[in-house]
Amino acid sequence: MKNYLVKELMVPISEYATVPEGATLFEAVLALENAQEQFQQNRYSHRAVLIMDKNKRVIGKLSQMDFLTALEPKDENLIQIRKFTQLGFSRKAIALQQEEYLKSSPPILDVYSKAASMNVTQFMQRPTEGEYVDENASLDVALHQITAGANLSLLVTRGTEIVGILRLADVFAAVYHSMKESESQKANGEAG
Amino acid sequence: MKELNKLFDRIIQRVNINLRELEFDVNPLVSNLIPTQQMTKFYAFYGLTPHHPLNFVFRHSNLSGSYFLGKVRVTNSLLYKSDIRGDELKQKGDLFQYQDFNIPVDQDEEITIDDSFLIKTLVHNFSHDPETLETFFVRDTVSTHYANIHGSPSDGCFMGPFSTVDLTTMRDCVVGAYSYVQAGEISHLNIEPGTVWVRLPDEFNFMYRFPSDLLTSYIYFKPGNIPQGIFMDFVEDRKAAFEQVFNIVNFKAPVTVPDSASVDRFAVIKPKTTIGDNVLVAQRAFLQNSTLGKGANAQENCYIINSVLEGNDVTAHGAKIIEADLGKTVFVGFNSFLRGRPNARLKIGPECIIMPHTIIDISKPLVVPPGHLVWGLIENANDLQANSISLKDLSKIETRMCKGRMLFEGSGKTFVTGFQERIHHILEANGAFFANVTNNRGHAQRNQNISFNTIQPYPKGDDKTGLYPTIIIQP
Repeated sequence: MKNYLVKELMVPISEYATVPEGATLFEAVLALENAQEQFQQNRYSHRAVLIMDKNKRVIGKLSQMDFLTALEPKDENLIQIRKFTQLGFSRKAIALQQEEYLKSSPPILDVYSKAASMNVTQFMQRPTEGEYVDENASLDVALHQITAGANLSLLVTRGTEIVGILRLADVFAAVYHSMKESESQKANGEAG
Repeated sequence: MKELNKLFDRIIQRVNINLRELEFDVNPLVSNLIPTQQMTKFYAFYGLTPHHPLNFVFRHSNLSGSYFLGKVRVTNSLLYKSDIRGDELKQKGDLFQYQDFNIPVDQDEEITIDDSFLIKTLVHNFSHDPETLETFFVRDTVSTHYANIHGSPSDGCFMGPFSTVDLTTMRDCVVGAYSYVQAGEISHLNIEPGTVWVRLPDEFNFMYRFPSDLLTSYIYFKPGNIPQGIFMDFVEDRKAAFEQVFNIVNFKAPVTVPDSASVDRFAVIKPKTTIGDNVLVAQRAFLQNSTLGKGANAQENCYIINSVLEGNDVTAHGAKIIEADLGKTVFVGFNSFLRGRPNARLKIGPECIIMPHTIIDISKPLVVPPGHLVWGLIENANDLQANSISLKDLSKIETRMCKGRMLFEGSGKTFVTGFQERIHHILEANGAFFANVTNNRGHAQRNQNISFNTIQPYPKGDDKTGLYPTIIIQP
């Protein structure tokens, strides 16, 4: 099985969707849409936006899940309802209570509108120690890091600089192709 | 007083260690609740009856204004105006049924209170924990005004004012003000104020949460202050009547009490009250211009004012019934607050179950139809519609149901049957079904022959002021 290097698989940061730290949530989503349109040749589209500080350093990442979570209505009651699992209620029961509660909440479009104008840094995830991988690391190392941390992507470093993003989809494709190639060679060898 | 202060610090530290995972600090909540000078003012007292085992051991504790019955051991604790009522403890030879097990009880059960600070708290019933059948323990626990520890061994917990933990073993938990928990076993949980939670795992799960902004009118408890709100005002307004009762040595009930009924000498009975057969009125209950029909009862810290209870009605610990008419066999749960007005009476149909910690506070007449379950906060007919269901309809629920702020999951039938069986058991234990000298005797009959002795702390003058000497009282 071919052992790729991370730098062979990553998306360079110049091709990735980024926004400055002062951007709104809506501006971050627009940047994501824009990056996706410019990256049509890849069958796996962008699924996150990087947030950069004024020195062009990555300070966080907004994933599709973070975006959807940002749109979820939030107040003290909902936070409490979501904790009902501690009291032995099933997810179905909690969803039922949440639905009942939301009947008396503001219309969902109002909630979207409010969230759209909020600062993206409120919803982004700051990278943790296990989310960095060196550009010269092997595919095996990256694979382990992604599975161990259940990450959807890793930030690729060159020294102290972030130079790209290694996405779950890229790692999956590389592993899959290597495996396919290896199995094919094995089958040919046996046949020969 | 020095010893008393040291004891307080020791208890707070032990509770905080238990609650460190929840990042809960008990100290600011309770440090000024009961000044230590106040703890030296009142005598403690215990009951003597031919029907309950007698065994009291008090060591290195303050017991100010507290009452003891049965088999109780108190060590390194502060008990302020609390009731430790051991008249339902298991006895040697009893069989305790738990799931498919019948577990024999090896010795008389004992309530043991260690390193705890209980303020105006009721400890009653017996341990329902199969792992600790003979010891109903309360340790490293702080409980505040009018909390109920009912059949619930407790280790490392804090209980807010007017909270109740019922038939539940709890470890390292915080139970917020006016929360009710009946869940078998809980640990490391912080129960928000105003949560009413009844769970039998794999069978049913009921929960209601009071809107916090409305609940604060009734009970408000923040660091640096004693509990405030309508509940506290209500009991404080009637405090003087209790002081009179506690100051009188020879008590005579001011009303006619049938031979089959029992009115505790530490209950307040105001004029125009009628007591029926098989009625039980516990200590610290308050009755005024009310009728208690055959088999009705008023437990500790209950207030029944300008009301009629037709018969076999259960008024559980701490419940308050004002300007109301209750049909037969109505259950009013712990610490419920049912307040009609002179021109807006509350009428509750027979066989209703008012869930523990329910508030009905109305300004227009309101009728609860027979056979309904009622919960939550009700101020008018719309609220009643939103916060009640007929027991028949509830019994049909097999999956889950949400009604306003109430969430139910599991078997409605099991929930209703369980409640009805428990109500029957309470009535039986209280002697409501007593028919003749030998049949169905309960607390109402057994508590008639009771005498009280008082015990006092060290007087003012040295470090031990306020502490009680080691006292062992045995047959």
